[in-house]
Amino acid sequence: MEASSTQWKGRAVPLREDLRFSTGRGTYIDDMKFPDTLHVALLRSVHAHARILKVDLSEALEMPGVVCGLTGEDASRMSEPLRSLIPIPVALDAYCLAYGKVTHVGEPVAAILAESRYLAEDALEKIRVEYEPLPAAVDPEAAMEPDASLLFESMGTNVMWQDRFDYGDVDEAFGRAARVLKKRFYIQRYSSTALETFGCTAVYDDHREQLTIWSNDQRPGQAMPIVAHSLGLTHSQIRFVTPDVGGGFGNKRKAHYLIIAALLSKLSGGRPVHYLEDRRENLMALIHACNGVMDLEAALDEEGRILGMKVRDIADEGANVLNPTVHSILKLGNLTNCYRIPVVRYEVNSVMTNKCPSGANRGIGKPFMCLAMERMMDYLARELGMDAIDLRRRNLVLPDAMPYTGPSGALIDSGDFNGTLDKLLPLIDYEDFLREQREARAQGRYLGIGIAIGLEPSTSNASAYILSSGRRSASGAAEAAMVRVEHDGSILVLLGDVGSGQGHETAAAQIVADELGVAMDGVRVSPFFDSAVTPWLYATGNYSNKFAGTDVGAILGAARKVRDKLLELAAHLLEEPVENLELADGGVHARDRHEHRKTLGELAFVAYRDLLSLPPDMEPGLEGRFYYKPDIANVPDENRRVRNQLFASNAAHGVIVEVDPDTGGVTILKYGVVHDCGTVLNPSIVEGLVQGATAHGIGAALFEEFDYDAEGNLKSTTFVDYLKPTAVEIPDVAMDHLVTPSPYTPLGMKGVGEGGAIPAPAAICNAVENALEPLGCTFDHLPLTPERVWEQMEKARASK
Amino acid sequence: MEPELTNESTSQSAQRPTDATPDRRTVSVTVNGTRCEAAVDVRKTLADFLREDAGSTGVHVGCEHGVCGACSVLMDGEVIRSCILFAVQADGHEIVTVEGLGSEQELSPLQQAFVDHHALQCGFCTPGMLLAAVDLLKHCPDPTEAQVREALSGNLCMCTGYAGIIRAVRAAAPLMSGPVDSHAGARGTSPPASGDDRAPAKG
Repeated sequence: MEASSTQWKGRAVPLREDLRFSTGRGTYIDDMKFPDTLHVALLRSVHAHARILKVDLSEALEMPGVVCGLTGEDASRMSEPLRSLIPIPVALDAYCLAYGKVTHVGEPVAAILAESRYLAEDALEKIRVEYEPLPAAVDPEAAMEPDASLLFESMGTNVMWQDRFDYGDVDEAFGRAARVLKKRFYIQRYSSTALETFGCTAVYDDHREQLTIWSNDQRPGQAMPIVAHSLGLTHSQIRFVTPDVGGGFGNKRKAHYLIIAALLSKLSGGRPVHYLEDRRENLMALIHACNGVMDLEAALDEEGRILGMKVRDIADEGANVLNPTVHSILKLGNLTNCYRIPVVRYEVNSVMTNKCPSGANRGIGKPFMCLAMERMMDYLARELGMDAIDLRRRNLVLPDAMPYTGPSGALIDSGDFNGTLDKLLPLIDYEDFLREQREARAQGRYLGIGIAIGLEPSTSNASAYILSSGRRSASGAAEAAMVRVEHDGSILVLLGDVGSGQGHETAAAQIVADELGVAMDGVRVSPFFDSAVTPWLYATGNYSNKFAGTDVGAILGAARKVRDKLLELAAHLLEEPVENLELADGGVHARDRHEHRKTLGELAFVAYRDLLSLPPDMEPGLEGRFYYKPDIANVPDENRRVRNQLFASNAAHGVIVEVDPDTGGVTILKYGVVHDCGTVLNPSIVEGLVQGATAHGIGAALFEEFDYDAEGNLKSTTFVDYLKPTAVEIPDVAMDHLVTPSPYTPLGMKGVGEGGAIPAPAAICNAVENALEPLGCTFDHLPLTPERVWEQMEKARASK
Repeated sequence: MEPELTNESTSQSAQRPTDATPDRRTVSVTVNGTRCEAAVDVRKTLADFLREDAGSTGVHVGCEHGVCGACSVLMDGEVIRSCILFAVQADGHEIVTVEGLGSEQELSPLQQAFVDHHALQCGFCTPGMLLAAVDLLKHCPDPTEAQVREALSGNLCMCTGYAGIIRAVRAAAPLMSGPVDSHAGARGTSPPASGDDRAPAKG
């Protein structure tokens, strides 16, 4: 196959999605309602941990406008337990509504269906629930103790997964080390909190045995089998549609709600049933990134080369029965960041607690792994009296070592980490700043600079979960797409991966326009996923930065099937050899005689209507479907090494902060990012995602925390106490790019989207500590709120 | 302008509500130049009224407690949060939603700047951002970057990190003048209103 043309690829074409979004014409899940739609309200647990003795709906069902209700006991009769995405050690029989006990504040206990959400919420107040409160397991380390209160007695422990991975002879490396340093790091619970909450509309037609679900679930390929299993339906009986998604960041998936809505639709005789979280429900019960504790130990030689590392990690999963171990697995794939560390020990603890279920959130585990690693690099440099950038450079994986396989089998396919650092330093005026800092310190001002580099592996390989589950429930990575030249010569593209702001429609149109030799305007990309018409597989969905790794391959594959057929058909009609034909200007012409051509419309006329003009053996139609899987995905080898994620972008972050000596407030004065995601398809998209992801990292570093008390009550359930950064706090990120194409993706592209969120917390924490170096303050907890920073400053000032 | 709560005695609708059903009123609101009359529960939020009764689904509800700004609309020319006002409080008033600013075929200069500067990703905050920016530019036709940031600090965007939004608003400023005329998109011809009469409901 000849190289594709690049008339559209690489250009910062404006995003076509932006037109409908900037006019309020997006179609989000709350817009997917029908005239006779009924509304769900959920009664949620007020206890972190309790036995449910009785749920009495009788009074609630008498309330005005109420159609029916559902309890956990009803759900246990009407549906099967939720099938977990990651096979877990014992069957836990968790249903879409709590049955028998509740395991976190906010867990749905009962559902009411009514003519309006207002009336449904009225009725919630009449539900009588008798609880027997139980002690809550809140702190993950305490939850691991033998006497801890157990979320699931049948497990006999709260520890969902405990394991030790020895990649190489770690003890030998530590034995010959000149220095060993051990540090403990913590990460808080936070979440990217898409502005649109999660929800669905379901229509369960019992007579036709057909269920239709509209949902902003960002991973329909996974949701479909869970819903089908719980409801005892085949996949072919379910039509799953994803409309515009108002932000995802990993959070938007919770099959519970889809099943509740389906059951209520069934009970109401097939009326459309709509459920949408309110913000409080979203903050307390959708998905949080795991909080956790990590002990990191590094062994160094005299020259500052890292000989080996020990990582002991505790991931607080909360009451996560659906997809536990995700954070632990993704850390395993990112243990050594961009560094050449030959041997590593990884001790995993995935622990259940009485908190909101954890799950996917921008970067999943990688932000914490990077935080610990990049904080450690600064501590090591301080210990050795070395410059922290020099120490990093001394340990980087170099371009001539690419593709590089790390100790856990993780692949770094490409990158020039010194190159990104080289570009970063002038971007943030590094040398000038050091001078400025000296002067500021002389005046009693606390200015600091922080550097962090971060690998950004993308495109998850499902077989990594064989390590945690011991079972092969899926393997590899993939996506599917369809490209069709319609009867009139127009072009339609369907993609399994519905974006949630990443500009997939524009990006796909750029690719297909080049492949088929048409203007972008001639390519329509469906904004919706529809399981009845879109090709899809288990991997289908919007996650793990996978557009570059799998979606591009699927789009190209489908477009090239159509392209080949167009050429073959044109060769027949024009009586030219295929080799002498090319696609351009909306048609196929002879290379030496452009007027000797057929337009796409003329070719489509033959393909769909004038069928007897087709070559004798040619199937009618001009449709290409392609299911793409990257060849480099593997399964764990005998040493449990696996390519966890397949294509590695990277970034270097540099941030300059000032800390207010009186309030402890941190102000970002300058933020620079050099990002490398390989070949860039659309610079507007890339720059938008880098800026946005960095803002998420800044939020995690300075503002955001789901704060639980000792009884497991969540104290931050509104945007008044769960603080998101606003336009005042987020600086314009100075940005530069390096392009080291991946040798393994069709266009050399690599993932973008998670990147900024991964190194930002480390860079900011490094900067704040650097600013407060004169006081000797250190921080092991985030976010760096004024209160937390001020307390450390006061402590330091008191001890001087 | 202070939104007034409709007087109970004057707006009793034909049907007298029973004890078991919530009180209902007929409200008449001009939405993007078109009068919309409907009998609504008195507790119905203005956001729900605009979405369900007036069909303005560009009004997005992101938090329902007046913090995120996604539901921002203009009431009598001033930006307000429709999730923390009741529909009855808008009775007799004029509302402009994002649908009143421009269409895909004819974008207002501000909307065009949002597209040009990729000032959005998922699009959920965009309607509220646009209306907050319209309000800013009415009161402050040539804002500094700091003024734009301050004025938009009541609108959360989870996707963009705000950079494109700030650029777009500043780029559009010279192209905008006067208050919003709900019939003619984001550009009006009357002189800018004074800056001290903002609706108190702005959070």
